[in-house]
Amino acid sequence: MLKYLKEEGPLGPRLPLIFCPGCGSGQVLNYTLHAVDKLIEEDEVRRENFLFISGIGCSGRITSHYLNFDSAWTIHGRALAVATGALLANPAFKIVVFTGDGDTGSIGGNHFIHACRRNIDVTILCLNNGLYGMTGGQHAPTTPLGAITTTTPYSNREEAFDLCKLAEIAGAPYVARWTTAHPQQVIKSIMKGLRKKGTALIEILSQCPVHEKMSPVTLLKGFRTKTIHVNKAKESTVGKTFIGEFCDLDKREWNESYQEIIDQFLRTNDKIDE
Amino acid sequence: MAKKIGAHDGENRTHDSYFLKPGRYYLQGNQACIEGALMAGCRVYAGYPITPAVETMEYASQRFPQVGGRFIQMEDEIASACALIGSSWGGVKALTATSGPGFSLMQETISIAVMSETPMVIIDIQRAGPGQGYITASQQDVMQARWGHHGGGPIIALAPSSVQEMFDLTIEAFNLSEQWRTPVLVMVEETVGHMREPLVIPPRDAIEVIERKKPQDLGIPPQDYLPWGHGVVAPMANWGDGYNVNFVALVHLEDGNIARYSPQANYHCVERLQNKIEGNVDEISRIETKFLEGCKHLIICYGAVSRTAMEAVIEAHEGNGLELGYIRLVTLWPFPEEKMRKIVGNVDTIFVPEMNLGMMRHPITEALRDRCKKVVSIPSFGILHSPEYILSRIQEETS
Repeated sequence: MLKYLKEEGPLGPRLPLIFCPGCGSGQVLNYTLHAVDKLIEEDEVRRENFLFISGIGCSGRITSHYLNFDSAWTIHGRALAVATGALLANPAFKIVVFTGDGDTGSIGGNHFIHACRRNIDVTILCLNNGLYGMTGGQHAPTTPLGAITTTTPYSNREEAFDLCKLAEIAGAPYVARWTTAHPQQVIKSIMKGLRKKGTALIEILSQCPVHEKMSPVTLLKGFRTKTIHVNKAKESTVGKTFIGEFCDLDKREWNESYQEIIDQFLRTNDKIDE
Repeated sequence: MAKKIGAHDGENRTHDSYFLKPGRYYLQGNQACIEGALMAGCRVYAGYPITPAVETMEYASQRFPQVGGRFIQMEDEIASACALIGSSWGGVKALTATSGPGFSLMQETISIAVMSETPMVIIDIQRAGPGQGYITASQQDVMQARWGHHGGGPIIALAPSSVQEMFDLTIEAFNLSEQWRTPVLVMVEETVGHMREPLVIPPRDAIEVIERKKPQDLGIPPQDYLPWGHGVVAPMANWGDGYNVNFVALVHLEDGNIARYSPQANYHCVERLQNKIEGNVDEISRIETKFLEGCKHLIICYGAVSRTAMEAVIEAHEGNGLELGYIRLVTLWPFPEEKMRKIVGNVDTIFVPEMNLGMMRHPITEALRDRCKKVVSIPSFGILHSPEYILSRIQEETS
């Protein structure tokens, strides 16, 4: 996968990655490039059609310098709005939006639900670590009830968002949740998302050993034991997070639909219909 | 299949017949700017409804698909401005229009666009007052245009005064944004936005349209491309061009390197951006003058006010024998200080009629304080000054 990473990025050499030791962001980058590689090899998607857009936060740093593709490190929460504009200019872009739970669920919440509602052709990879990592471990809209963070020193009194349910209700045709401990599933989901014309949300539970103050190994093991596949929901689900594909529908994508309007106005002569 | 904007339709069909034919039209200012944008090659409009800019958006929704463009109503003004960044880097010129509260929401993105050197055009149909204010006319965002976005990055802002100029200056705004790789603001009063008067559309091939410089056109291959280098205005590789560009709005050096964070690198980057616009103020900024020679007093104005001010000036010359010179700022920012100092001799009083409590009088005073005895602001709130009112205020001060 190294061919897809610049040897020298604006922040220095590509390796070691800039992420903290044990962070899940590097894993997600790896999984994404595996999926992208398959699309380039199997679907013959042109490399210059890929576009990686991120907002601000640890997830934003995935696009900040390594990728040997067109990429954009934009505004906190606004990656999807920028992606929408890029698709208006050129619907052929295969856009991957890297985002975090704060980026998507909080400051960019409005852009998120409306991207899903419009069904624009993006694949959203939301790295959910349940906190704001880059600014030092503050609570996020995905932080579990009762958790202690740097801005909930007396425990978090707010319910956490379920971003997958939100996306599904808002209209995204493909919604899945995995963890960094499910590499093959993540790769397959990203491929599905990129192949689907429309909005795909793939939430990836991702560890933050620094702010969660636990070893990466413990956290990754927890991802295997504390999650349950949505198809096995008959088993005891108490205290477990659902993973799997929550929906996989075919819906009309925004640009495909709008093209019908544009094409009404194509003329071979210079007469305008009254 | 959704197509790239401007892509050929395999059947030899085009959207050309939907451009306005040369001739006289009767349009609203809020619509004339859309026709200007289409002539300038703008093919993406992303906006959010707000009074008194809403006719612009409604008209755009009708016109953009007719000429092969795309219109989208975004979820808010923040998203609208962000969509312009995405479209511009995707290679297509983009426009939005808004008013006060929406303009405030766009400021974050304007700052990002200044730093990332993104060509795009925002039209502000100004309403009056802080807060929700009042939906009638004002010139109350002219300082926000310059200083409203964080970090103080330089900006280009134009002030049209007629329906014709809503067309002409929107084209100029796109040309300036492409030439200097920067967001350009068109600061309009509701007066001009809702004004209906004749508009002359020239033949399409008679309109000068400037396109951004691209590295591939200059023979710069991807391996030699410096995203912020190669001259005062860096050539812009768009997404999809195969240059693997990294859009970044952090402090950066010519080679795109953000590693060498330092006060020097920061200063170098900000200074370069500043010099790009402020250093070329004479080329970018335009003023119009009349009756300057030997005038005893001077009136300096912009936008809609320049029309009633001109009436007042003519009346002063014809009826009152008052030697009153006239300067109109076509460009508000960068402020053409040196240009004005070159043509303004010593006068008694400088009058600045504005539809606010006196905003542009500050840079005007700064530029010309040694050329006059005093600068007098003539404010008006929520409504355009009448020529009689301007003249009466001048007579009060000079008698």
